[in-house]
Amino acid sequence: MSTATGHESALEEVLAAAAAHAEQADEAAEFPTAALDAMRATGLLGLLVPAEHGGGGGGLDDLVDVTLRLARVDMSVALIFAMHCQQVVVVVRHAEGPFAERLLPELGKGDVYLASVTTEHGKGGHLLSSESTVRQDAGTLTIDRDAPIVTGGQHADAYLITTLAPDATSPAQVSLVYARRDQLTLEVRGGWQPLGMRATQSVPMRLTGRVPADQVIGASGKFREIVAPTFGPLAHIGWSAAWLGAATGALSRILHHIRDAGRGQFDPSSELLLTRLARIRGRLDLVNALLRHTVAAVQGSPDVADPSTQLLVNSLKVHAAEQCFAAADEMVELVGLRHGYLRSSPLYLERVFRDLRSASLNYANDRLLLVNGALTLRDRQVHLA
Amino acid sequence: MDAAFPDLLKPFLKYAGTQPITAEASLNELGLDSMRAIELLFTIEDTYGVSMPDELLTDSTFATAGSLWNTIESLRGRAA
Repeated sequence: MSTATGHESALEEVLAAAAAHAEQADEAAEFPTAALDAMRATGLLGLLVPAEHGGGGGGLDDLVDVTLRLARVDMSVALIFAMHCQQVVVVVRHAEGPFAERLLPELGKGDVYLASVTTEHGKGGHLLSSESTVRQDAGTLTIDRDAPIVTGGQHADAYLITTLAPDATSPAQVSLVYARRDQLTLEVRGGWQPLGMRATQSVPMRLTGRVPADQVIGASGKFREIVAPTFGPLAHIGWSAAWLGAATGALSRILHHIRDAGRGQFDPSSELLLTRLARIRGRLDLVNALLRHTVAAVQGSPDVADPSTQLLVNSLKVHAAEQCFAAADEMVELVGLRHGYLRSSPLYLERVFRDLRSASLNYANDRLLLVNGALTLRDRQVHLA
Repeated sequence: MDAAFPDLLKPFLKYAGTQPITAEASLNELGLDSMRAIELLFTIEDTYGVSMPDELLTDSTFATAGSLWNTIESLRGRAA
């Protein structure tokens, strides 16, 4: 894969695998292994690794484009891909020295799937503190990490794990450690039976093992310096693309239905139909505009940690979650019980509705609004990014 | 740093414990987050009679007890 346009055939292959298994993966809350195998086989997992390391050389726009396309078919597959890319970009931007030189070509091949281990029982999804200690002796870190939610944890080839720094004197001294699957003992500690995004199979896990101390990404205890410029923006951009893609796919299926098989049930002169369609479409245009603008602002900002850009990135996540779910809710109302509420409908709105209900909870909107309230008070001039 | 300044900081630093707060201490590592930082800002403005301009409300101003104290001092100097 050389350029952003060169991954079309790879994407087609992944989409076909995702479509073939989406219903079953949702039904059983099982990981979409066929789609992941296709991502590995085509090298799509290397999309955001720079070309000099053998990767796809893609940027944030490519991440958004591919995630949107995947989510039209299966939102879980899109989330898996987007979160993997978030981890890749963290490595690309923040890994240093000989370890980075060894790792980047491996990721560039595009067959290594990275999972993220940031959740803890005591603090939920809060990123900037940890209660998980790590022991360092003779250049080795000994990890024993219990995480309540690890998306794709049973299928990942490597993990980026937050822990306390070995010499931490405060819970805020968090390190990010890279660990290959073969360096860890993995124990699945429970099931995964959620309402939606079921195919992400985000199981509780315990990860234990020993890794060389040079596998810390960024400075020891300084994960905060990765969160503001990279980890946070990539999460919110990737998730928002997945939510928008899911809602976009649903609307497209409805429109095909209205124009085709369902023609008899819908009257194109109905003012109710037209205004509802306009409202739904308008929500998606809003999110798309905000998503694209946020990508441009993040790429153009000299300091992504400045309050204006942080406010924008957090607002994107909050609005995308609210608007995409509202759109799904209105789509259910629009098409009615049979096609909006029954699992058997080929429009599968019921699944998209369940999937999108997770959006506001997946790093809680309430938490982001608290941060944005505080940031708003710091910017009396209201500099809009 | 004014001797009273660490005592002013302490309620906003959830990990400060009983250790003395030095000028070099990282406020983030002592538990300052963006929500507590804005509360701290209001307290500083009330206590020292200064008004912090938006352009000083940066991570580097709030990086350490010392950097924050220096910012307050420079604002007081300006007001004097």
